This record gives sequence, C-alpha cells and structure tokens, in this order.
Amino acid sequence: MSAVHVTVRVGPELYALPVDAVLEVAEVDRLTLVPGAPSATLGLQNLRGSALPVFELAALLGVSGGDPSRIVVTECQGSRAGLAVDEVCDVGLLPDGGDESESPLLARAALTDAGLIGVLDLEELFDELQGAAS
Amino acid sequence: MSEADEALVQVFRDEVEERLDSFVGQLLAAEQGQSTLETVDVLFREAHTIKGAAGMLGFDHVRELAHAAEDLLAPVRADGVFPVELVAPLLRVADTIRLGVDGDVAACVDLAEELRGLAPDATSASAHEAPKPDDVARRTVPSPKRTGDQRSVRVPAEKIDRLLDLVGETVLHQRRLEHELEPASAEAELPESLSDELDVGARLFDELKTAAIGMRTRPLSTIVGKFPRAVRDIAAELGKDVELVVSGDQTELDRIILESLSDPLVHVLRNAIAHGIELPAEREAAGKPVRGRLELRAEQRGPTVEITVADDGRGVPEEALEEARRVGSLVDVLARPGFSTAAAVTDISGRGVGLDAVKVHADTFGGSLEIRSEPGAGTEVVLRLPLALALLDVLLVERHGTTYGIPLGAVDEVVLAGDEPMSLVGRAALNLRGQPIPLEDLADLRGSDAPVLPERAPAVVVASGGRRVAVGCDRLFGEEEVLLGTMSPLLGGAEGYLGTAILGDGTIALVLDPAALVRGSMPRRHAQAPAETTSEMPRVLVVEDSFTVRELQRSILEAAGYRVETARDGREALARVAANGIDLVLTDVEMPELDGLALTRAIRTDAEHGSMPVVIVSSRGSDEDRQAGIEAGADAYIAKNGYDQHALLETVERLVGR
Repeated sequence: MSAVHVTVRVGPELYALPVDAVLEVAEVDRLTLVPGAPSATLGLQNLRGSALPVFELAALLGVSGGDPSRIVVTECQGSRAGLAVDEVCDVGLLPDGGDESESPLLARAALTDAGLIGVLDLEELFDELQGAAS
Repeated sequence: MSEADEALVQVFRDEVEERLDSFVGQLLAAEQGQSTLETVDVLFREAHTIKGAAGMLGFDHVRELAHAAEDLLAPVRADGVFPVELVAPLLRVADTIRLGVDGDVAACVDLAEELRGLAPDATSASAHEAPKPDDVARRTVPSPKRTGDQRSVRVPAEKIDRLLDLVGETVLHQRRLEHELEPASAEAELPESLSDELDVGARLFDELKTAAIGMRTRPLSTIVGKFPRAVRDIAAELGKDVELVVSGDQTELDRIILESLSDPLVHVLRNAIAHGIELPAEREAAGKPVRGRLELRAEQRGPTVEITVADDGRGVPEEALEEARRVGSLVDVLARPGFSTAAAVTDISGRGVGLDAVKVHADTFGGSLEIRSEPGAGTEVVLRLPLALALLDVLLVERHGTTYGIPLGAVDEVVLAGDEPMSLVGRAALNLRGQPIPLEDLADLRGSDAPVLPERAPAVVVASGGRRVAVGCDRLFGEEEVLLGTMSPLLGGAEGYLGTAILGDGTIALVLDPAALVRGSMPRRHAQAPAETTSEMPRVLVVEDSFTVRELQRSILEAAGYRVETARDGREALARVAANGIDLVLTDVEMPELDGLALTRAIRTDAEHGSMPVVIVSSRGSDEDRQAGIEAGADAYIAKNGYDQHALLETVERLVGR
C-alpha cells in the first residue's frame, strides 16, 4: 500500500507531507515580521484575507542552505501554518515502510528512486511549534 | 491494533465524551431541582448508548458499568421522577467511565460491583415516594437549557477566526467600492438604483460583521480558573485570611478581550488583598469576620459586560476620597503615582501599579473603569467592557518595515522626538511641556534588532493612568478602523500583541497591547523621582516561580523606590547575576531547574559575585529550613507565612546599606 504525498526540497534534502494535510501551495509574498515570535518564524503572510503564520522548514529541521520560495499551507490540530520550502518537487505515491527516523519531527524515512525522503510527522511538528510558542 | 481499529476507538472516545457531557448536564440540572419529564429518559438513553458502543469495541468494563447505571435508572424510569439521591452515584459513574475509556478496568469493575448493591435500595426509595403535585408540575416545564444544547454545534476556533478575517476583508472591500464609485463632482450623481444597492450592502455587511463577531465570545470561566489559587498564594504571602467568591463566570466576552483580561484582574485581586483586606487581628478588633471576603462578579448588561471585584476591607484612605471629590474620579486619583501624603505613599502607589494595567485594558477596548470605596467597609472596582469587539480604532505606525497598530484609546498624543534630547539614568527621555517622559524605541520594546531611530523620529505617547511612555517609530500612517483578528496560537510566545489586522492594501498590521508597551518601560518607571536618588537606587533581583508572588514582591519593592528585575528560577537568576548590575538577590526556595538553596551556594562560590547579599523568602519556616538557608550562605531568611512588607523592606534596606 502506498499513499499520496507532496514532496518538497529544503536545501539539499527532500521531505514529504501527506497530501491530506496540505491545503494549498502559495508563493512567498510580503511577509510581516513578528518580533518576539519563535526563531523559525518567517512572519505572517496575507493569504486571501487571513494572516497565516509562516515558518521556515529548514530552520525547524536544522537543515542549512535553504532559500525558501514556496509556502506549503498545512492544517493540523485545528491550526494553520505555512511551511516555507525551496521547491515543491512532486505530488505522488510514496511507498509505505522505511526506517523510523531519529528526528522526532519525522514519522519515517523512505528510500525512493529520487533518494532518501523524510516523511514529516505533522502532529509532532505542530506540537513543537506550539511548544516554542508558549 | 490496526489503524482502522484505532480510528474507531477514537470515534468511540469522542462519542462517550459527548454522551457523558449530556449525562452530567442532566444530573447537575436535576441537582438544582430542574429535572424534567425527560431527565430519566435522557440519562437512561445515554447510558444505554454507551453500553452498546462499549460492548462492540470490547470495552467490557465500561459496558458493565453503563449497565449498572441503567439498572439504577430502570426502576425510576416507570414513574418518570428522578430522585436527587441518584445524582452523586451517577456522577461517579460518569467520572469512572471516563477513566475506563482511558483503560482503567479496575475502577469500572469495582464501581459496577458497588452499584449493584445500591440498586434495590434506590428502587424501594423511589417506590415509596409517590410523585408530589409540584413534581408533576415541574415535569411539564421543558428545560430551556436542554433545547439550547441540542441546537448547538462545535466549531474549531480557527474556523471562526477565518470567517472573521473574511468578514473584515469584505467590509474593507465594500469601503473601497464606495470610494471608487464616489462621483467626481456634486452634480454627477450615481444612478439611484446603484446607490440604493450600495446602502443595502453596507447595512448587510454591518449585520454580518456583528453576527460573526458574536461567535468569538467565550465564558469568563476560561480565565477565572487560576484565580482561587492566586488569591490563596497572595493571601498566604501577606499573612491574611481571604475567601474568593466568584459569580457569573459563565458571562461571555470576546476572546481577544478575555485573553488580555487575566493579568489586569489578578492585579485588582492582588491590590484588594494587599491594600484592602486587613490582617486578621485588625479585622477582629474592628468587629469584622476574621476571614476577608473578596468577590468577583460578572454580569452582562446589554452590549456591555460588567466585572466587579469587591472586598470588605478598610477602603481607601479618607484623603484619597477627598481628593476624588475635587478631581471628580477616584480612579484618576488612585492611578496617579504622584498622589501621596508621605505616610500613604507605599499604599497608594502600590494600588496605582495594578490600576494602571486595568485602566489601559478598559481604555483599549473602549470600556471604562470605576472605583467606589467606603472607609472601613471596603472597595469596589468595576470594569465595564464591550461584550464583543467591533472595529477597533488604531493609529498605524511603521518601525523597521513592520506596520503596527496602537489602539487609539491608549494614545495621548504624537510628538517629534529629538527636539530636546535628554537622558536620565542612562535612558532617553523627552521633554513634554516640562514633563520628562521615557522615550522607548518600538523596536527595542518588541525585542527586534533595528537600525537606530532617525534624529527627529515621531513618537507616540501612550498613556495609562498617570504613567506615559513615548514610543518612537520610523513614521506614522494615520488612524484606521480595523477588524481585529486573533494572533495564531502557533505564535503565542510573541507576547504583547492584541492580534492582527488586515489593512485595505493587504498589509498585515500587528496590533499592540498598550499595557505591554507600558510594562515594557516599567523597570525604570520611577524616572519622575529626583535624579540623585534614582541613580543610586539599588537593583534587586526577585527570583520566584509564581507569577503572582513575583509581581507582589515587585510592587512592594518598586513602591519603596528600588529598581527590580525578575527571574523565574535559579538558572535564569544566575545568568542575570553574571550579567552584572544586581545589588541584591531575593529568592524563593522551591523552584524548577535550580532551587533557591543551590542558587545561593552558586552565588557564594562565584569569584566575582561571591559577596552578593542574598535573602531567602520561603514558605518553609521551620528552624531546620532556616538553618539550611543560612548554611547555603543566605544573609537573611524570611518566612512567607505572615511576613509583612515592612520586614521585607527592612531586611533589604539593611543589606544594601541604603
């Protein structure tokens, strides 16, 4: 069995999100900086009349060399967050299985033709954001 | 367990939760004498449904217990009268089913066993009791609460915020449309049909806005929960005996108002305990009950919510009342830090500290604050707030590329900084018609790095009570009416914002909480005092994990003129001490991370700060504890129980040799 995922690039690395959790993909536009917000916060972006908090995925994962140009809008636990990534590579089936990852933010690591892809554990990721916020 | 099973169990949990809410709701209503013809039926039905679902999913212990509840209810079902004696056991059933769903098998089995012994008694009790006439009458009156419950739905807060954001956009769109269609000259009129439609649109948008904002209210109880604890802590700290009575905590308020209301209310409660309610001996001598009574009441009056904090303490000093008769408002007198006769200065300015925050809160949201007091009988602080925030008037400013909104209610005036640059104790100040007021860079207040402000930067004077701060920024955009949106919970750590607002051109403005701006400039707020004493005022570091105790000690020390910094645990305190500038450390013992004793030892072994005076303030007052404190190297040990502020101030004064 396999499930549809959105694959994104952050610096040199590839990550995937379950397609169900992705509302849309937007371009990085005018971001309003929020002084005092957690360090991975890029700011607030006006997404059709709503102030969406945008976080740099590279910073959350500790990946260096990112240059965000796209925002993957996700929803989890009733909150919305934009994850800024360098590029959205693919939307398609990602095989199940793969090793558990050491990073708490990843559900697992899948080995595919494109290389090693880290599958994000969005609940953990949102918990981390909530935690950093409080 | 497979994924599908797990999902099913989650559905079961949610369902049980929902059923139990209804179950408990019925029980509580019955306890209040509001049982209806349906009460027994509903209880029975909910228990039955839980039983069935639990059986299907293999939660046999839950099924057993639900079954036992059914058995309790079956005998009374026939006559339709719900005996009040069943409330207690059935409430236990509800609590235990919750445990059972989370896996506690034994609790369910035990209670089911116990109830089986109870069931026949209940049966006979109800059998003997023929329905009384008034019971019958009551049964025919349908409970309005229940009807309401059935018609309500749960909606995630996020969705409501989204809806409100869209309403805000729509309102702005309407305004732009009106603006675009405005005829170029007075002669060129719009076709009548078009202008009629515009009017209809404006009215509809207005109603839509009001309806949507009404969805954002939450009951006061969401913030009241921590108050009893806070009152207990503060009272214990001051050696007073105080009872907090809360009423009307189901009164609803806009979520944004509610979230920033918590701290100001704690201030008011703190003031009432510290300055209003007398020590037990004093109360006894005055013929009052030893235990002071503190009341928090809330009620809705039309579009306004009135929150009252009333104490039965000594009231404010007579001279304050006299002054109030001259000035016209007791709030203005008490919130003004300068009001003093020498003897009363500590008391009054102590009050002022709390009232400030409350007054700003009221001003911000277009509410009001009133204080009534009767010497010897007590004080009443009445806060009136709008039930729901409509559009908020803000002054838009820019600093380092970010647009901020400052609620107009808290804006005194706008000046140009740098006309007469001054500084006091190393801080910038500006001369406002002969009054020095602190000048803060908005970027600094918000903790963001930004290039230094230009020479003649505009500054917004934010006023609250008697205290003002001039907030410097790059430029002013002017006033605008905005619809306040909530800040994402994911950015909850970014304190000091009321929320966000989307402006006409799509820019997002961060709406500032004026109380936080004033707070941000507070550590040095005694700048009005003569320069020579201010510059020499020792700096005390208060280390304490309880917010209320920390703020209480801060207000006591600041009222005596000290400069105060705070830390939440020993580790934070050590970092602060290492950064220099601290003259004395006042620390609690029990704290997370690094406790007070370890902190004291760490300071004593520090090469540079080894001789720093350390005062331990602890709720543990035994000789052994005292000994442990002194052995760790503390210069003084004050027991929290029954210490009065004079003992604290005397000790601090002795150690810093002022």
